[in-house]
Amino acid sequence: MPTIDDFIRPKEWVSDFLSSLGKVIRQWGEERYIPIRQQVDEDWREHKLIKPLMKEVLVDLGVNSAFFPAEVGGTEMPEPMALSNVVCEELARIDSGFATACMCSIWGMMPIIFEPHRNMELLDEFGPKFCGQELFVGSFAMTEPDSGADIENYGRMQGKTIQTTATLDGDEWVINGHKIWLSNSGEVGNLYTTVCTTRPGSTDPEDIALILVPADAKGFNAGNPYQKAGMSADVNSDIWFNNVRVPKKYRLHGPGDDLKYWKRAITMGNIASTAMCVGVMKNVYEIIKTWTTERVIAGKPLKEHSMVADMLSEVAINIESTSAWMWAYTREIDHPEISGWEPWDERFELKSRGLALYASIAVEKSCSRAMDFMGSYGYSREFDIEKHWRDQKMIGLWMGGKGLKTLENARYWYDLETL
Amino acid sequence: MALYPSQEWCDEWKIAINSDDAIAKTGKTWGVGFNGNWLFVITPGAGLVDTAYVYLEAAAGKCSDARLVDDPKEVEPGFVVTGSYTDFKSVVKGEQDFLAGVVKGTFKIKGDMVKIMRNAKFIRAVANSISSIESDYFGE
Repeated sequence: MPTIDDFIRPKEWVSDFLSSLGKVIRQWGEERYIPIRQQVDEDWREHKLIKPLMKEVLVDLGVNSAFFPAEVGGTEMPEPMALSNVVCEELARIDSGFATACMCSIWGMMPIIFEPHRNMELLDEFGPKFCGQELFVGSFAMTEPDSGADIENYGRMQGKTIQTTATLDGDEWVINGHKIWLSNSGEVGNLYTTVCTTRPGSTDPEDIALILVPADAKGFNAGNPYQKAGMSADVNSDIWFNNVRVPKKYRLHGPGDDLKYWKRAITMGNIASTAMCVGVMKNVYEIIKTWTTERVIAGKPLKEHSMVADMLSEVAINIESTSAWMWAYTREIDHPEISGWEPWDERFELKSRGLALYASIAVEKSCSRAMDFMGSYGYSREFDIEKHWRDQKMIGLWMGGKGLKTLENARYWYDLETL
Repeated sequence: MALYPSQEWCDEWKIAINSDDAIAKTGKTWGVGFNGNWLFVITPGAGLVDTAYVYLEAAAGKCSDARLVDDPKEVEPGFVVTGSYTDFKSVVKGEQDFLAGVVKGTFKIKGDMVKIMRNAKFIRAVANSISSIESDYFGE
C-alpha cells in the first residue's frame, strides 16, 4: 500500500542517510509538533510554543549546523540542496510556517557558507552562534514597503528600487531604511542579512550590498508581528534601520560579488519553497487517503466514487510531477558539473522560478481539492486541511509572487528582452 | 607500516585516538549515556579477499578498545558502518572525507543520525586521526 515515501525521490540522488534524517525529523514532528499544531495559529504574537520547538530542530537535531563548515562547529553536509529539500519536506508536512521559520534562519547565510564563496572571517564570528547550544536565528531582509518583487527582479530593475542605504563611513557601514515581511523578524531574529544599495537609484550591480546587522545593533528596531491568514509559526514584522553602524567587514563579499552569490541563495530559496509545497501536499495526501477510505457513502468508501477518485488522482499527480522536477533541479544545483553552470548562474535562478511557480499552483490546487470533497470537515480546524490551505498561499506569494516567477521563467525559456 | 586492516593497525589507531587533543575535546560527551561504539564492516575487493570487521570502543573522548573481530555477533556496537575496501582505503589515505561519504551514501550507516550530526566534529577528528598511521594496503 503506497505511502508518502513512495512518491518520487530518486535513491541514486538521495542517500539513505538523508532519508533516515528525514524520518528522524518526521518522528520528532509526530511526537512534539503535531499534538500542538492546531494551537499554533493562536501563538502568532507571543511565539511561546514555537520558539522552544525551533531550538529543538535547529539546535538539538542539528539542522542549523548541518550547513556550516566544520571549522565553526558545523557538520558541513555535502549536497546542501538535497539536505534542504528533505528537511523542508518533513517540516512542511507538519507546518509550512514552521518550516519557513527554521530554514529562513540559515538562508541569509548561504552567500557566505558555501565554497568557493565562503567568508571565513564572518563565519568565525557568527558560525559558532548558529552551531552552538543556544538558539540563534538568522533572517534575510529583502522586501521593502514600496518594493518587494522589484528588489528580487534585478534582471530588469537592477536594484534601482532598493531604498535601504549603506554608506561607508571610515570602518563602518551606516545603514538606514525599512524592511517588511521578512521571516524571523519581530523578537525572533538575532542576525539580519540586509539587502542595501550603496547608491540609491543605481542600476550598477556593484552597488547592491548584502550586509549583516545584529538585532542588538544601536538604531535597529523591530515592530510587532503581523497577524496573517496563515504561516503563524513564521513571524513577519517591520524592521527599521536608523543610522545603524556595523563594521565594514560585515558586508558579505564586496561590489559585484554580493549580487552574484545572492543569486545562489535565491535559487536555493525557489527549490526549498518547492520542497515545502511537496511536504504540504504529502500531508494532504495522507489526510485525504484516510478520509476517503474511512468515510462510506452509498455503501462504499468515498474513494471508490469516480468523481472523488478523479480528484484524488489529481493530488497524486501534483505530488509526483512536482517531486520529479524538484529532484532534477536539485541534482543540477548540487552537481554543477552536470550543466557546466556555476550554482550562482542566473540561468538556475530563472529556471527555478518556473519550478517554484508550478509547485505553488500544485499545492494550491491540491489543498482546494481536498477541501472540495471533505466539505465542512475540510473547512474546520480539527481536520488540518484548512491550516494547510491557508498556509500554502504564502508560498505562492513570496519570492516575487506568481508575477515575477512567471516573468523570469518566460525570460529564460523565450529570451525575453524587455520583460 | 601497519597493514590496513589488521590488529597491528587497530593498535596504532587506538594510540592515535588517545593522543589526539582534538578528539579528547570534541568527544567529551560521545558515548556518555548511549552506546558510542562502532563496527566498521569492510567488504572485499581491491585486494581484500574476505569481509573484515574493525570494532572501536569510544566514550568520553577516549578509545578503550580497537580490534579486528572474526564474527560481528561478538560485539554490540551502537553504530555500524558498511563500505567497500576501496572506499575505506580512500578515507585512510586521506583522499575522502568520511562524513561526506556517509551523507552521500558511499558508506551505509546504522545508528542514531542525530548523534552523528551533533557530534560531527568528533567523528571527523577520529577519522582524521587515521592519517597519522603509516599504512600498507592489501593488493598494493
